[in-house]
Amino acid sequence: MSEIAPAEIPQGSNEPVDEGPVWARRTSALWVRYTSSSPIVIAALAVFLGLVFGAIIIATTTPAVLDAWRSIFHHWSGLPVAIKVTFDNVGSAYRAIFTGSVVDPQGFWHSLTTGKGWPNTLTPISETFTYATPLVIVSIGVGIAFQTGLFNIGANGQAVIGGIAGAAVGSMLHLPTILHLPLTLLGGIAGGMLCGALPGVLKAYTGAHEVIVTLMFNYVTYAFLLYAVLSTPFQQPGQSNDIGRTMDPSAILAPLFGTKSGLRVSYGVFVAAAVVVFAWWLLDRSSMGFDFRVTGANPAAARASGINGRRVIVVVFLISGGLAGLAGLVQVASTTHYIDGGFLIGNAGIGFTAITVALLGRNRPMGIVWASLLFAALGVGGRNMQASTGIPLDLATVIQSAIVLFVATPVLVKEIFRLRAAPTATVQLATKGWGS
Amino acid sequence: MQLELRGITKRFGSFTANDQISLKVEPGQIHSLLGENGAGKSTLMNVLFGLLRPDEGEILIDGVVTPINDSGEAVRRGIGMVHQHFMLVPVFTVAENVVLGFEPKKSFDRIDYRAATEDIRRLSQEFHLEVDPDAVIENLPVGLQQRVEILKALSHDAELLILDEPTAVLTPQEIDALMDIMRSLAAAGKSILFITHKLKEVKAIADVITVIRHGQVVGTAEPSASESELASLMVGRDVQLTVTKSTYDPGDEVLEVRDLVVLDDRGLVAVNGVSFDVRAGEVLALAGVQGNGQTELVEALVGMRPVVSGSITLKGRDITHLSPRDALDAGLGHIPEDRQRDGLVLSMSVADNLVLNTPRRAPFARRGTRNLAAVKENAQRLVREFDIRTTSIEAPASSLSGGNQQKVIVARELSRNIEFLVASQPTRGLDVGSIEYVHRQFIEHRNRGNGSLIVSSELDEVLALGDRIAVMFEGRISGIVDPTTSREDIGLLMAGHTTEVAGV
Amino acid sequence: MSLVSTTPVATTTPIIKSARTRVIAVIMAVIGLFSFVVFGLGSTVRSHAALSFTPLNLVNAPWHLGSLTVATRWTDIVLSLIIVALAAEVFIRQPSRGVMPRFGIAAILFLVTLLFWAARTDGPSQVNSVNVTSILVGCSATVMVLVFGSLSGVMCERAGVVNIAIEGQFIAGAFLGSMIASTTGNFFYAAIAGAVVGGLIGLVLAFFALRYQSDQIIVGIVLVTMLSSLSSYLNLQVFTPFPNFNTGNLASNLAIPILSKIPIIGPVLFNQSAFFYLMIVLVAVVSFALFKTRYGLHVRAVGEHPRAAATVGINVVRVRYINVVLGGAIAGIGGVAFMATQGQFQVGYTSGLGYIALAALIFGRWRPSGAVVASIIFGLTVYLSYELVTYQVPVSLYFLQMIPYLITIGVVAGLIGRVRPPAADGQPYLRD
Repeated sequence: MSEIAPAEIPQGSNEPVDEGPVWARRTSALWVRYTSSSPIVIAALAVFLGLVFGAIIIATTTPAVLDAWRSIFHHWSGLPVAIKVTFDNVGSAYRAIFTGSVVDPQGFWHSLTTGKGWPNTLTPISETFTYATPLVIVSIGVGIAFQTGLFNIGANGQAVIGGIAGAAVGSMLHLPTILHLPLTLLGGIAGGMLCGALPGVLKAYTGAHEVIVTLMFNYVTYAFLLYAVLSTPFQQPGQSNDIGRTMDPSAILAPLFGTKSGLRVSYGVFVAAAVVVFAWWLLDRSSMGFDFRVTGANPAAARASGINGRRVIVVVFLISGGLAGLAGLVQVASTTHYIDGGFLIGNAGIGFTAITVALLGRNRPMGIVWASLLFAALGVGGRNMQASTGIPLDLATVIQSAIVLFVATPVLVKEIFRLRAAPTATVQLATKGWGS
Repeated sequence: MQLELRGITKRFGSFTANDQISLKVEPGQIHSLLGENGAGKSTLMNVLFGLLRPDEGEILIDGVVTPINDSGEAVRRGIGMVHQHFMLVPVFTVAENVVLGFEPKKSFDRIDYRAATEDIRRLSQEFHLEVDPDAVIENLPVGLQQRVEILKALSHDAELLILDEPTAVLTPQEIDALMDIMRSLAAAGKSILFITHKLKEVKAIADVITVIRHGQVVGTAEPSASESELASLMVGRDVQLTVTKSTYDPGDEVLEVRDLVVLDDRGLVAVNGVSFDVRAGEVLALAGVQGNGQTELVEALVGMRPVVSGSITLKGRDITHLSPRDALDAGLGHIPEDRQRDGLVLSMSVADNLVLNTPRRAPFARRGTRNLAAVKENAQRLVREFDIRTTSIEAPASSLSGGNQQKVIVARELSRNIEFLVASQPTRGLDVGSIEYVHRQFIEHRNRGNGSLIVSSELDEVLALGDRIAVMFEGRISGIVDPTTSREDIGLLMAGHTTEVAGV
Repeated sequence: MSLVSTTPVATTTPIIKSARTRVIAVIMAVIGLFSFVVFGLGSTVRSHAALSFTPLNLVNAPWHLGSLTVATRWTDIVLSLIIVALAAEVFIRQPSRGVMPRFGIAAILFLVTLLFWAARTDGPSQVNSVNVTSILVGCSATVMVLVFGSLSGVMCERAGVVNIAIEGQFIAGAFLGSMIASTTGNFFYAAIAGAVVGGLIGLVLAFFALRYQSDQIIVGIVLVTMLSSLSSYLNLQVFTPFPNFNTGNLASNLAIPILSKIPIIGPVLFNQSAFFYLMIVLVAVVSFALFKTRYGLHVRAVGEHPRAAATVGINVVRVRYINVVLGGAIAGIGGVAFMATQGQFQVGYTSGLGYIALAALIFGRWRPSGAVVASIIFGLTVYLSYELVTYQVPVSLYFLQMIPYLITIGVVAGLIGRVRPPAADGQPYLRD
């Protein structure tokens, strides 16, 4: 949406009056800031609306809740019970998400007072970080593409190929850690790049819309995954199931707190941190990133100012694909250490979540970190919710998509909460129709 | 039809585009609305045509207050509009465009194209507007497309025609033809509201002139008023209609173009064997009606369009097949035709826009990392030197007025130590103050001994700036003449008549 | 100065040939040579296969066509050479029109050579025969679903809104369709429910795209994500505990008297479920409405130049709302039709058909008739890629499954830039 709009003129005067004590002025400035529609406020409210949406879904599909409401038809007195049952169900679902992804307050208190059971207490947050680590990496790749005006829906496929390539390097070569781990990481990046190169080249040289190409590629890579884990060189020797080879200990990303702790959060977080720094430099400080942003904001001006649009497209897809591949590898190397036929399958695949994460994080590296942690928590907590309340994990994805719908529509959020307008830029998005 | 506007006011936020505008158009009258770019003419017409709703004021048709809520209603009330950017669907036929929204119907909601075609033929004959009803719009020349716009309005039984800057895309001869059409329409009792900023045309055709400035009516004038009177009324101060230049003292050849052939987007020949030279200290002005290959020529010069054959030489160096980046680095400056599309990234800051085509050059970057301090310093200096009015160098370019946006581009290009400047329609849509400023910058650039090619479809601008004037028609240069040549002769060249000129 | 009045005639003949045409020619040549070498010269074991025509599902067919034994190896060689010849023609002549139809013919010929090769390849259970009629009947189901999908796309994109949520509308239609069909046993109600839910999704898309000018592709993709996870969620919440809601029943075929008895064509076209006939009617209706009626002229004007439409009093936003909702309803019915050919709802079983329908729409140049032709090519590809598994081809079934997607990519890469979408497709419309 690169529609030309005149600069929004701040309506009325939000300037605090230059009177009164300092604290009052500060609070009123804060109040203005947080009642106006700054991007952060919009994101927070979108998250809230997404959770409300999820609550409505739970309330309207859980048998126990529906039974309680049905009883009202028999007698009015059932109403308070029905309301209570509704809130209980929604509450227990969201409580399960929280305790499953952040911390269980009871366990925390127990550990704090007795000093025991820390590993158990910390498992949820460790799992959230474990899940968020590859998510940050892949989402930054998607975000860089978005900032260049490109929509990489194929990140999941690129992550799959990166995972396979990296796992192959990690399991079929046998080297000391100092060589093996970097080579494995490079293998992941190379796999993703290879897979990202094709949509990039097709887009740059034939104009094929990257959305269709990358979408189709996801299906291709998924078929390839099943082939890979069921065929000789990559399949686990002696197995007939869809399981790939296990990576050497020299190639994995070891747990941060040692294997004994049982906490899976791994050295992968440093890889993610490095990617965040790289992305910040690339987008905010490098000449190349400047070219990317110019191309994303105005392709015609980019061309007129001498930027080679084709090269930008190919390079961005290489970077985006490479990061997705790295993410896929980090996912394997820090959790299972092998790939099976269900690797990154379906909507829960990090490559799909990455689209929503990048949008929620407004394609900025730090925004993506926060958004990844949130969505990782939803995903990890969702598993706990499914285990303890029986509400399917897919609800997490539903909530995530709802959040993104709201984030992509700031005006709607403003209308719902009657916020005043603030001079905020809308997220730079990708569509230019099929012709471009 | 008699139309009266009473106290029309339209605000956008804190900006008042129309402030208490009142005017009256009588039947059979050609009423000219004169005002410079940005004075609020288009806003007023959009209000009248129901595309915008006024905040205050009322519209009276034949003495009756008539609110106009959408353009369909305007059309039903007998108001027809010929838009500056034609409101025609390019892939539709003439007939489909004319009947759109008012289709004669058969059973099952089908369109009665036979009735439609009949109707168009009848109107064509009545008003001498010949056009083939089955032709597809995008295959028609601009002059004929305008005819279709007029036909469309007439087919809806328009009694009042609004013509919004209708001459911008026409040759002088086509303008004459249009004026004949306007006169015959007025003679048939239609009222005409003619919006323009061109003084000559107003004087030639108008019965009554209303001048607006900064959204307000500043006066009415008789067509007998002199051009300078009208100009000072329109701008609000005395305007120098000519540019003062130092004497013409050309140096060596800077740019040499030989037998250039370039294709347009559809693969058709747009530039067909063009040759010319530009010398140091010289402005070659390129005149011609838009769409005769000027755009493609400029794009080829700056590397944005491949050259099929021929050569371009800059100071002895062959730059025919350079990429845009290399062409810019070789010393070409480029002020693009569509500044918001090609010249600026509106969502980015003024500072970034000022280094848009030199982000990798020292001191703005070192080894791939940008030096933001240098970028900032550069922006502060240029904003000062070129008098760019902006709240901050970090403000997005979209927050600047059109004139200041153009100043950003001019500052960027002229501060780059270029050998040669290529400017395309450099003052389109600007107010008179900005036009004067841009012209002054160009002349200073010339006086420093640099060469320039300035492409413009405004004859006034061409005559004011050019040391020599080349005229382009259908991809060829139909003549290179002296700025003392009469308008009529240049008009003939613009219409494709060739010339043999001795001594040029 | 003397002005000589001669008016030069403009030379406006196209002299450029698109490099893309040559790329397509090269791709075709590669396909042709591949099938020539691998299917023709390779695999020399058996050189004949039988072509049978008697349908399996029309037991009391009044006709019987004997099997035809063909020298498949030679057929493959000849067909491959035809592909190569087409490629050479495109490469040398570079025709300005009809490149993609030639590509489509090449694609179909390639599939035929693949099939013949598969039929005679050694395997544990050699088939050695190809039943032409049942292949056509089998792929007609996929074609039908794709036609519904691309027709939905025609409705939306002709009005200037990109509906990438077709996949989601398929999923929702299939889910609700199964539920309604299972509980009522009536596919009429299922189709109504599918249309309603598809239309509602269209309404949501239109609401975000038209009222808030959100990015249409983002909204579409997010809707697909939401609907596919919602379907998985509801599958566990509803269908698993209450299997009665997803019993599954196939829509029964309605044989049209006499016509259905025509050899080969009869079983393919005239012995189908009501959905198939509905699809044919819809294609005709949409074609007529779009190109003959006032409504259609308004729709096309809105998709090409919304501001021009607005200046003659056409309500751009309303036209778009109507079309996106109607398009959504068509896709929703398509989802029900898909479910009716599969028997019951399964999570994820539309496997990107909605996106392939979108590619078919582009291939069909945003015309209903073109969408039908494109859907036949894509439908045949999708069906065969699954069907070939039964032929025990010595190629991993996973590589076969990639074929439709790869062909889609090839088509899209070859087409974009050659075909012209509605000018305002995907652009937000801002009323000033």
